[in-house]
Amino acid sequence: MRDVSFGQYYPANSFVHKCDPRMKILFLITYIVAVFMAKNFYALGACFGVFLLVAALSHVPIKSLLRSVRAVLFLLVFTAILNLFFHQGGTVLWSWKFIVITKEAVYSTLFLAARLFLLVLGSAILTLTTTPVSLTDGIESLLYPLKLIRLPVHELALIMSIALRFIPILTDETSRIMNAQKARGADFESGSLMQRVKAIIPILIPLIISAFRRADELGDAMDARCYSGSKVRTKYKKLTFTWRDLLAFLLCAGLLAGVIVLKIYTQSLI
Amino acid sequence: MEAVKFEKVYFSYQADEEKDGVFSSEAAFSLNGVDFSVEEGEFVAVLGHNGSGKSTLARLMNGLLSPSGGKITMLGLDATNEKNLFEIRKQVGIVFQNPDNQMVASIVEDDIAFGPENVGIARAEIGERIAFALDAVGMSEFRRSTPSRLSGGQKQRIAIAGVLALKPRVMILDEATAMLDPRGRKEVMDVVLRLNREEKITVILITHFPEEAMLADRAIVMSRGDIVMQGKPEEVLSRGEELEKYSLTLPRAVKLCRDLKKGGLEVQDALTAEGVASEIENALKKQGADMQDLALTAKGNASAPLLVKKNEPADEKGRIYCENLHYVYNPASPFATHALDGVNLEINAGEFFGIIGHTGSGKSTFVQHLNALLKVPTAEKKYKEKRLKKGEIEPPKTVLKVDGYDLTDKNTDFKELRSKVGMVFQYPEYQLFAETVFEDVAFGLKNFSKEITEEETRRSVRDAMETVGLDYRTLAKRSPFELSGGQKRRVAIAGVIVTKPEILVLDEPAAGLDPLGKEEIMQLLHKIHKEWCKTVIIVSHDMDEIAENCSRAAIFSEGKILAVAEPKTLFEDTEKLENIGLDVPLTAKILSELLPLGLSIDCDFTSADFVKKFIDFAKTRGAGMRLPTKGGQKNA
Repeated sequence: MRDVSFGQYYPANSFVHKCDPRMKILFLITYIVAVFMAKNFYALGACFGVFLLVAALSHVPIKSLLRSVRAVLFLLVFTAILNLFFHQGGTVLWSWKFIVITKEAVYSTLFLAARLFLLVLGSAILTLTTTPVSLTDGIESLLYPLKLIRLPVHELALIMSIALRFIPILTDETSRIMNAQKARGADFESGSLMQRVKAIIPILIPLIISAFRRADELGDAMDARCYSGSKVRTKYKKLTFTWRDLLAFLLCAGLLAGVIVLKIYTQSLI
Repeated sequence: MEAVKFEKVYFSYQADEEKDGVFSSEAAFSLNGVDFSVEEGEFVAVLGHNGSGKSTLARLMNGLLSPSGGKITMLGLDATNEKNLFEIRKQVGIVFQNPDNQMVASIVEDDIAFGPENVGIARAEIGERIAFALDAVGMSEFRRSTPSRLSGGQKQRIAIAGVLALKPRVMILDEATAMLDPRGRKEVMDVVLRLNREEKITVILITHFPEEAMLADRAIVMSRGDIVMQGKPEEVLSRGEELEKYSLTLPRAVKLCRDLKKGGLEVQDALTAEGVASEIENALKKQGADMQDLALTAKGNASAPLLVKKNEPADEKGRIYCENLHYVYNPASPFATHALDGVNLEINAGEFFGIIGHTGSGKSTFVQHLNALLKVPTAEKKYKEKRLKKGEIEPPKTVLKVDGYDLTDKNTDFKELRSKVGMVFQYPEYQLFAETVFEDVAFGLKNFSKEITEEETRRSVRDAMETVGLDYRTLAKRSPFELSGGQKRRVAIAGVIVTKPEILVLDEPAAGLDPLGKEEIMQLLHKIHKEWCKTVIIVSHDMDEIAENCSRAAIFSEGKILAVAEPKTLFEDTEKLENIGLDVPLTAKILSELLPLGLSIDCDFTSADFVKKFIDFAKTRGAGMRLPTKGGQKNA
């Protein structure tokens, strides 16, 4: 079952799952731009509204979403605290020796935290509803124009695809090698830092050798299946936009417009 | 037209490529002027020991290697000309040994599309080709699956589909079944046969299983870079002495027939269980045995299990006792799987025990408990006893005792336990890491006892190496990565037995080896068992291996133990085993073929006992039967 635990894809058959990965990536980019452009809580509220809508459509349980926040919680709290103490000027609320907390600091800290929170949640929706494979396809397709400046888009996509394919294999292999060395008395859990680093060698070397062997064999297999770069190559998988993506696009545009309007008309509001 | 034509082909490795060969799984060996050809539509099997050059042959055929001399023509195209390679590779597909290392995508259909994409087939047609290829290998419903969820046999069928999608006229299988279990092997061979018969694809099957070569139109035997035998498979594979000279073995069925014949039963060579059964029937009839009379079974003197050593009944050393063992992977998540669901098993000191079951039956999970690579919850350091809620009944206690250690107690010295319970994983050669064989073998020894002297280390390493049949003087200072596959495996086994464990557990110790290598590994295990190792446990898919070697065996299925018994009882009910998709030994297959005739022989399913019982039976029952010749008896 290990192959499902990498990445954080949540299998379901929702509206969001069925959207074109390119649309989802573009949507996320727009969303991120909107969150950054938002200068007050009204704009952030609009972003949050959009997020709630998408989250509801995605059928991803709130627990899974919050789990992705937990991963960056430390960073979030740390940034917020720094901001709280180092914000300059404003009405002083509380002070002790050199520590001064102002009203503006509290406000901007809450704002920053909310913004980060929204960013993480938004990205989580993308990775929770899109398999790594279709994410790769989406990225390849979006990068396609860069072929004009001779960026080897196809090769990059192939590298990503192969990496995805071999992650579960090498994860399995690592745990097998670890078990084998443990059975021979290797100890990875105790001892000084130096000892622990040294203890990794009996895992690392077989793993590297195996990766090279696999790469070698894969290279032969690819050659044998007529791989010769991208000159005559066609592509089987075609991503197609559907009515879902049109809806998503409209929502996306609406969000961006809304945030811009709010930005212009509510500058004075706090 | 000839599909393949080799004219005086020479191949040798240059120094730099030799170095590269460290990683390339001893893929290629030299050829000394090989001449041969294959007609279109033919099915040719190439046999040969490891390092005979048979894989080099495959790689030369589609330009992955180029010859140092001679001429290779594939489907009329000169394979030594770079310009032809693309065209040749379109028409000559190759399937390699390791299914994992030949797939590029994480979704089956994307992987199959890879070949057609490479040659520039239009999108709509690629879709059709995927459908065609998946249909041809019987995997249509897996189009959207991910390869890591498939079994070995299924993965290899996907690899074949990936080649088929290019619509090749020739397909080469380079030991494509070597890493599969018997069921996967059969799946793949069925597909290959059909492709040859129905799609008229020329097949070149490189293998070291004589049973597979039997299916071909022609067999070629290679040894040391030369073709040494050639002809109809049934003819080539019956030349036992010659085969032995080239480190190959007779198919099991043929061997059985030969042994019967030596004992005086007039049978001809047969290749399948059905064949052997009808040969036996004919022989008995011909020799005048009254078939009505055959219903009498030869019960009574079943040979006692040979392999159990005498031990004190109360001996905790070498004994495994397990009661009510459960294990759940990914508990409290949507992916929770109950790998062990209440396992009860007792393995006594002195046994040579077999563990049988499919992938996912729980056998590996069980085995990993034996030296605490997986621990029962109560043995975890952080374990705290749970208070029972009101009205809750206390769940039955888990008992797990191995070699006198209590594995449910967190205060047990697990490191010491691991020095007493050795564990050899599948393909153990992939865990080698040290610069020299000596250091690698000594690794466990140094981990387990910190204050061991240099002198003691040297002695133990030398002992271990000699036990597994490696010469200490010439090999100890060599790098383990320079050795051949079989030698590497021996080094890995030496690295486990160097602490002289009382219990030795091996997961598929013979997997991927050629028949001769398999036999040698089994002999080695018996030697260790006889000399100092109290209990040996092997996990195996090969039922013949279990029948020939084990005193008792347990069948795992869906996290539970289905049956524990001597092979004699275990393989009696062939139907039950086949119902859960397991194989049975050849001898059991033959006997169940003979059952409708009313002939049943009470044997323990080892081929020696099988032959003996039949000879005895024929002697007492078969009127007018010729007495065995002098030499025959010994063999039986």
